[in-house]
Amino acid sequence: MLKKAKNLFFITGLLTGSLLMFWACNQSDNNDPKATGFDRKEMLRQYADNIVKPRFAALQSGVNALQTATQTFVNQPTENSLDALQKTWVTTYETWQTAKGFNFGPAGEEGLRKGLIEEIGTYPAAPTKIENTVRSGQFNFNNFDRDARGFLAVEYLIFGKTPAELVAQFAEKNRRDFLTAAVGNIKTRVDAVVAAWPAYQTEFLAKDGTDVGSSSSQVYNEFVRNFEAIKNFKVGLPLGRRPGQTKAEPEKVEAFYSGESLRFIKANLKAVEDFYYGRGEGKDGVGFKEYLESVEGGKALIASTEAQLTAIKKALDAVPTTTPLSQTIVRSPAPVDALHTELQKHTRFFKSDMSSILGISITFSSGDGD
Amino acid sequence: MVIENRRLAFICYQPISIWPLVTFRVVFGLMMLVSTVRFLWLGWVEDHYLSTQVQFKYYGFEWVQTLPSFWLYTLHYLMLAAAMGILLGAFYRLSAVVFFLTFTYVQLIDLTYYLNHYYFVSWVALLLIFVPAHAQASVDTWRGRVEVCEQVPAWSINIIKFQIAVVYIYAGLAKINYDWLVLALPLKIWLPAADKIPILGPLFKMPIMPYLFSWAGMLYDTFIVFFLMYRPTRIVAYGAVLAFHIVVGILFQIGVFPLVMIGATLIFFSDEWHLRLWTRLRVLSSQSPIHHSSFITARAAPSSFNTIYLSIYLIFQLLFPWRYLLYDGNVFWTEEGYRFSWRVMLMEKAGTATFYVKDRQTGREGVVNNGDFLNTHQEKQMAMQPDMILQYAHFLKEYYQKKGVHSPAVRAEVYVTLNARPSRLLIDPAVDLTQIQDSWQPKKWIRQYDDF
Repeated sequence: MLKKAKNLFFITGLLTGSLLMFWACNQSDNNDPKATGFDRKEMLRQYADNIVKPRFAALQSGVNALQTATQTFVNQPTENSLDALQKTWVTTYETWQTAKGFNFGPAGEEGLRKGLIEEIGTYPAAPTKIENTVRSGQFNFNNFDRDARGFLAVEYLIFGKTPAELVAQFAEKNRRDFLTAAVGNIKTRVDAVVAAWPAYQTEFLAKDGTDVGSSSSQVYNEFVRNFEAIKNFKVGLPLGRRPGQTKAEPEKVEAFYSGESLRFIKANLKAVEDFYYGRGEGKDGVGFKEYLESVEGGKALIASTEAQLTAIKKALDAVPTTTPLSQTIVRSPAPVDALHTELQKHTRFFKSDMSSILGISITFSSGDGD
Repeated sequence: MVIENRRLAFICYQPISIWPLVTFRVVFGLMMLVSTVRFLWLGWVEDHYLSTQVQFKYYGFEWVQTLPSFWLYTLHYLMLAAAMGILLGAFYRLSAVVFFLTFTYVQLIDLTYYLNHYYFVSWVALLLIFVPAHAQASVDTWRGRVEVCEQVPAWSINIIKFQIAVVYIYAGLAKINYDWLVLALPLKIWLPAADKIPILGPLFKMPIMPYLFSWAGMLYDTFIVFFLMYRPTRIVAYGAVLAFHIVVGILFQIGVFPLVMIGATLIFFSDEWHLRLWTRLRVLSSQSPIHHSSFITARAAPSSFNTIYLSIYLIFQLLFPWRYLLYDGNVFWTEEGYRFSWRVMLMEKAGTATFYVKDRQTGREGVVNNGDFLNTHQEKQMAMQPDMILQYAHFLKEYYQKKGVHSPAVRAEVYVTLNARPSRLLIDPAVDLTQIQDSWQPKKWIRQYDDF
C-alpha cells in the first residue's frame, strides 16, 4: 500500500513538473503564429456566415427569379419571354457555381436523396428521358433519373432548339407543366437547404476537429471535389482526354445547349479560389490560406498554390470566348488542352499536400497505421 | 540438434506457471471478439472488401481472392466464434487454427488495409495454436477434454513476450531518425490537428509538445519492455503503458489496438500477480493450495523439432524487419522494406497519382479518373506506395485493353509529400509501368529523394 502511494506520488510529481516546464517554455515564443495556434472554429464560422449561407441565399433568390421568369414564359410563350427566361437561367446557373461546393450537412446525401449537386446539377442532361417524361405527363423528381431533372434539364428545355421552335413547342401543355414542375423541384430542394442551415450551423461549428466527419474534413473534401470536377468533367471528359476516348465529345460539356460552358467554368474556379482565400461577401476572412499559414510547411504550399492558380487563370483566359467551348474543343482544342494540363498540375496542391500538412483525415483509418 | 546451451534450454523448456498465459489467452480472445464485432458493426466488410472494384494484393499472395458476400460474412461469423473459442478455451486448438486462418485470409484480401497491428495479431494467433493456453480456466478442461496443468514449458510464454518485445523495440528503433527526433515530424503536424480533444487538446498547441511526444514515444517504445520485465519498475512501467496507449488511442483513429496492447502487456506480470487475479475472479479457489505440476510433458521435452521451429521463428522475426537495409535510398520515401517492420505511425505521407493510358496504335493518351475504380482509402494508400502504383497500372492496362485501347502503355505522375515537405515526383513519370513486374529487386523506377 505504501509502495503504491509512493509510486502514485512519484508519477503525479513527474507529470506536474513536466507540465510546469512546458508552460514555462511556452511563455517565451508567443509571437510565433504557429505557437498561438489556429482557431479552426473561427474558420468554420467565417465559412458558414460569410460564404456558405450567403451563397445559398443568393442561389435561392436566383431560383426565385427563375421561377418567376418561368411563370411568365409559361403563361405566354413568346420569343421575348423566352429570352428573359434564358437570361435568368444563365445568371442563376452562374450563381449555382458559387454554391455547388457545399454538399454536406443539409445539402449532403441522406437516404435515397443524393447531394444537392447530384439532384439539381447533373449533366449532361438526357434529352430522350426528358422527352419521354414530357410525353407521359407523369413527373417524378425522386427517381434515379437525375439527368432528367435539375438545372440542366431546364437548360435543355429552354435552349434546345431555336427560339421560334421552342415557342412553338411550348404550346404543348405537358411541356409547360414539366418546365414549371422541374423549376419548382429545384426551388423545393434549394429552399430546404437554406431553411436547414441555421439549425445545422450549431452542429457544424461544434464539430471543429480534424477527424473524419469533422466539419473541416467535410468542407475540405467537397472543396477538393469541386476543384477536381472542373478538371475531370467540365474540361477533361468533353475534351476526350479519358483513356478509351478517341475524340472530343462536345455534347458532354456542361451547359451544352446554352453554349455558356466557359463562363460557368470561370465562375466555378473563382468560387474555388474564393473559398481557399476565405473571401466572402466583400470580405476576405479566415480560410484555408490562413489555416495553412499556421502549420509546418504551409508557406511553401501557399506559394506553389497561388502561383499555379495564376497559371490556371492565364490558361483559362487564353480559351476563346467568341465560340462555345463545345466548338472550341473540336476545332482548336490546344488552349483547352493547355488548361487541362494546368488544372492537372494544380491537383496535388489541393488534394494531397494540403490535407497532409493540415492533418485533416479524409478516410476512416489512419492508413500509415498503428 | 541437441541443446547444448543450458541457458537457452532453461529459457525454453523449464516448467513455469501457466497463469500469465491463461490471462493472455482470455484478453486476446476478448479483444479479437470486440474487434471483429466492431468491424462488422461499422459495415467494413462491405466497405473494405465487397464494394471495391480493385483489390491490391500482397506480393506472393496474388492468388488470394475475395469470397462472395455470403461466404465472406460467414467467414467473419466463424472468426467471431473462433475468437470466442479462444476466450473461453473451448475447442481451443481448433479455435486458434480457425482464427488464425480466417483473420489472416481477410488481411490478405487487400493490401490497402495493411496495419502493423493486424500483422501482429496474425503472428500471435499463429503462436496461440501451439501453446497450451487452455490447460486452465477453460471449457476444454471443465469438460475434461484437456488435462488441467499448472505449468507449461517456458517457451510458450516467452515466445509471446518476445513477440511483444520485438514490436515495441523495433517500433522504438524506427523512431530514431532525423525527422522524428530533431524536427519532431510528423507530430508537429498531428498534435496541433488534435487540439480539440478533451483535456489534452489545448496542450497540443504548445510548440514544445511535438518534441516531447516524439522523444517520449521513442524512449517508451524502445525501453518499455525492459522496464516491464524488471520487477521493481514493473508497476510504473505499466502505468506508462496505460498512459501511452490511452493518449495515442485518443489522438489517432486506430480502433481497438490501444486496448490490445494494454491487455497483452499484462503477460509481463509475475506468476503470483496472475494467480491473485484469477483467485480474485473466483476461477481459482483461494483455499485450495496450488496443486503440483501435471506438466504437459509432451511439449516439455527439449526436442530438436521444437528447437528448430522456434529458432526459425525467432530468426525471422529478428531479421526480416531489417531487409530495408538491402535497398538504396530512404525507406520512408521508397517504402522498399517498409511494411512488416513495426514502423508504426511514423510519418505523414500523402500523394496525388495521375495515370496516363496510351493507345500504342493511335498514340492517343488519356488521363484516368481514379475515383472510377478505387475508393477514397485505396486511392490515398496507392498514391504513395510504389508497389501499389505498379499493381494499379497493371489493372488499368487490363481494363482499358478490354475497352478497346490497343496494347495500352501506362505511366504515372505521382507527387508525394513527406512530413510536410513540398511534394515531388515519386517515380519516373516516363516509365511504362506495364513493362515492369513487381519483385524483391530494387525498384529502379523510384526516384531518389535527395534531401535525406
